[in-house]
Amino acid sequence: MVIVTSKSEQAARLDEIAGIWNSRAHGLIREMDLKIEKVAESKVELRMPFNPDFCVDDEGTLLHGGILTALLDSSFGLANFLATENVQSMSTIDLRVEYLRPAQSRADVIVSAECYHISRHVAFNSGRAWFDAPGKPEVARGSAAFSLIRGDGSMLDKMKTGGPGG
Amino acid sequence: MTLEDLQAQCERVPFFRFLDFTILEVEDKSILASLVQSDRHIGNPIIGAFHGGIMASFMEAMASVTVSHNWDVLRPKPINLTIDYMRPALAGTLFTRTKVSRMGRRMASIEAVAWQDNKDKPVAKGLFHFLLV
Repeated sequence: MVIVTSKSEQAARLDEIAGIWNSRAHGLIREMDLKIEKVAESKVELRMPFNPDFCVDDEGTLLHGGILTALLDSSFGLANFLATENVQSMSTIDLRVEYLRPAQSRADVIVSAECYHISRHVAFNSGRAWFDAPGKPEVARGSAAFSLIRGDGSMLDKMKTGGPGG
Repeated sequence: MTLEDLQAQCERVPFFRFLDFTILEVEDKSILASLVQSDRHIGNPIIGAFHGGIMASFMEAMASVTVSHNWDVLRPKPINLTIDYMRPALAGTLFTRTKVSRMGRRMASIEAVAWQDNKDKPVAKGLFHFLLV
């Protein structure tokens, strides 16, 4: 799948993708203030700092499920970029999220996402989200399929060369 | 509860203020609402499309309000959701219409459809399950 053969080249590529993603965050990704914790080929771990704006209660203790869905969706997209090259654009075909317990905590959320299979046109993802707290309580699990449009001008290159994010 | 009361109740919820939607119609088993795109709603900066997670959040929010108009009496607990994304949702206004699929004593299933300029060309459809106990 990934054409890069040398281990160091591969590491450099993952670092570059992570760098672009971190520095060119836009829209909701920027609001969520996501930080890349770990990257590997087709896998990623992200941190979303606690934010009371994403809560349903005034006290700011219970996250709305929708923000966990957004977090999973975002991390799937990044995992797909890590898994393959020459993706011009991608879009979510469908998404399923299970809310395992009330998201009641002021801890950061960690999401781990994987692209577990990728073909020329479709990528398949699964992921889980938990609080960065003792016992790592898992709050949501998700899966998705993405449609990939391949071509020469990759989406990341467009972002790098001063798209709306720059 | 009147439409104004329901909107006021929603505006007390921090995440609903972040979404910033307007409820347009309330019926017993259905809600119509709109959401105007802001920068913070964008997922794909190249085409300026709504983030899939914002569309999901908006539909889930309206689904939960459809289940219970008064959260002091009953706050539905989300169990899971599935969403089909059918077209990109671009800059402008996103509409959603919810419909009760099944309302039981312990569980509720709510369907939601979202569209932009043309109601016959939905951008997304979702199914949301809630626990009522």
